[in-house]
Formats: sequence, C-alpha cells, structure tokens
Amino acid sequence: MKMTVQMRDESGCRVIAISGSADVESSAALREALLGAVESGAKCVICDLGRTDFICSDALGVLITAYLKARTRGGSVRLANPQEHLRDVLATTRLDHLFDVYADVQAAVAGKKMPL
Amino acid sequence: MPSRQPDTDSTYPWAEKILPTRLEAIREAEPDVLDRIGGLGYDDDCLFAIRLALEEGLVNAMKHGNRMDPAKRVRLAYRVAPDSVEIRIRDEGGGFDPGVIPDPTVDENLQRPCGRGIMLMRSYMDVVEYACRGAEVRMTKFRRPAQRGSQK
Repeated sequence: MKMTVQMRDESGCRVIAISGSADVESSAALREALLGAVESGAKCVICDLGRTDFICSDALGVLITAYLKARTRGGSVRLANPQEHLRDVLATTRLDHLFDVYADVQAAVAGKKMPL
Repeated sequence: MPSRQPDTDSTYPWAEKILPTRLEAIREAEPDVLDRIGGLGYDDDCLFAIRLALEEGLVNAMKHGNRMDPAKRVRLAYRVAPDSVEIRIRDEGGGFDPGVIPDPTVDENLQRPCGRGIMLMRSYMDVVEYACRGAEVRMTKFRRPAQRGSQK
C-alpha cells in the first residue's frame, strides 16, 4: 500500500501518522515530512506507526537522520504504536535501543514508556 | 549450511524479470513475486520477510551495484514452490566483499543512517549467499512446517 503521511499537533508535539508502506520509493516523502517537522522547530516529533505495514532500511535511515537532527536542536523523535512486524524490525536492527518507543501516541506525548 | 534444501520440482519453474535501474521498478516488480507466494498460502510473516529482503536486495543492486546508472539493468530471478522461495538478484556493477560491511547493530553503528540492508536480508531469510564477486545475491526462505496445513 502506498505510503501517506498526515500531520497534526497534539499537546505541543507534532504527530506524524505514517500509513501504508514506508518503502524506498516513499523515503523522499517521509524525509520531507520528518525533517520538515524538525526544522520547523517542533521539539517533540512523534511518528505514529500504527498503520505502517512495512518499513525498509532506507526509511529507517530517514528516522535516524531526523532523530539526530532533532537531538542537536534539543528535541526528540519518538516512535509510537509500531505493529508486530515493525516491532520485530526495530528489535532486529536494535534501533529500539536508539529510539524511545511507546505503546501509543498518548504515551509518547506524555513521555511515558510503556511495555509494548 | 542449512539442512533443508529448496524444492527442485519442475512444476515450479524459475521466473525472470529484467529491471531498469530506477527505484520505481521495484514497486512494479514486487507484486508478481508476492502474489505467487501468497497464492501458495505462505503466511504474513513469510510475506513480510520476503518483501523486505526483496526490496533490500533490489535497492542494493540499483544503488550500490549499478550506482543508479540508467544504462544498467538488474536481473531478478525467483522460484516459488510450496516449501521454499528462492530469489536471485544480479546487478551489472563490479561486485563487493560482503565480509567487510560493518555490523549495524553494534552500539557504535546504531546512529548510522545506512548500512542495514544486508543485515536485514540475512535476518529475515534462511539462506543468503553471494556469487559473481558480490554482484549476485542468492536468498532462500523455507516455509515453516506449521504452515503446510494452510497451503491452498
């Protein structure tokens, strides 16, 4: 399924809901959305992965680039609600050690890590 | 070496696609492969694993092998059988040594935005081998025994 992104602000955080497949062809759009949010000055960017059914290494690279850029600006990129396959990819790559991963968007907004 | 061997039944022949070096061609090629796999009743975990490995292999072939040279092609060959799926991807580049790719899962490499493709292929497929001095990757995924009962 082709990726779409929707953005909204919630309690001071910029929430980016990523639906469909974050594949290599979608990486440019993902980069534009994520880096755009970070560069616009959002201190807390939350990627809502609840409807993301696929992610490739290119898209993971975009998440990491956004994470690093946010960190240099004193902000954060948080991952929320990854489903089973994405949780497995995050664990396999050990990126669950780099990112703060939350059970849902509300927990990510609150900054309360919850068991997935 | 794995104890299992891919099916050799000629009922399930190899199929081949010659792809141009452009990323859009990946999305165009994947459905044919995945539809065959889904048609034989492989489960969602297998489909996800094979799609991920296929995407990573094709991206590597185009970006690193062919260096996005539009004059070069990528050969995708695949064989979908009831017990196994075999995929071969060959680019027209000079090859590489897969043994020198840094481990992206160690702490000092976690923040690197690239370099995870080969690790993902190795993690999600049962066999990953390189031929032609690294210009061809050969991957196999075996169906898990529990899935046999769901075969259509």
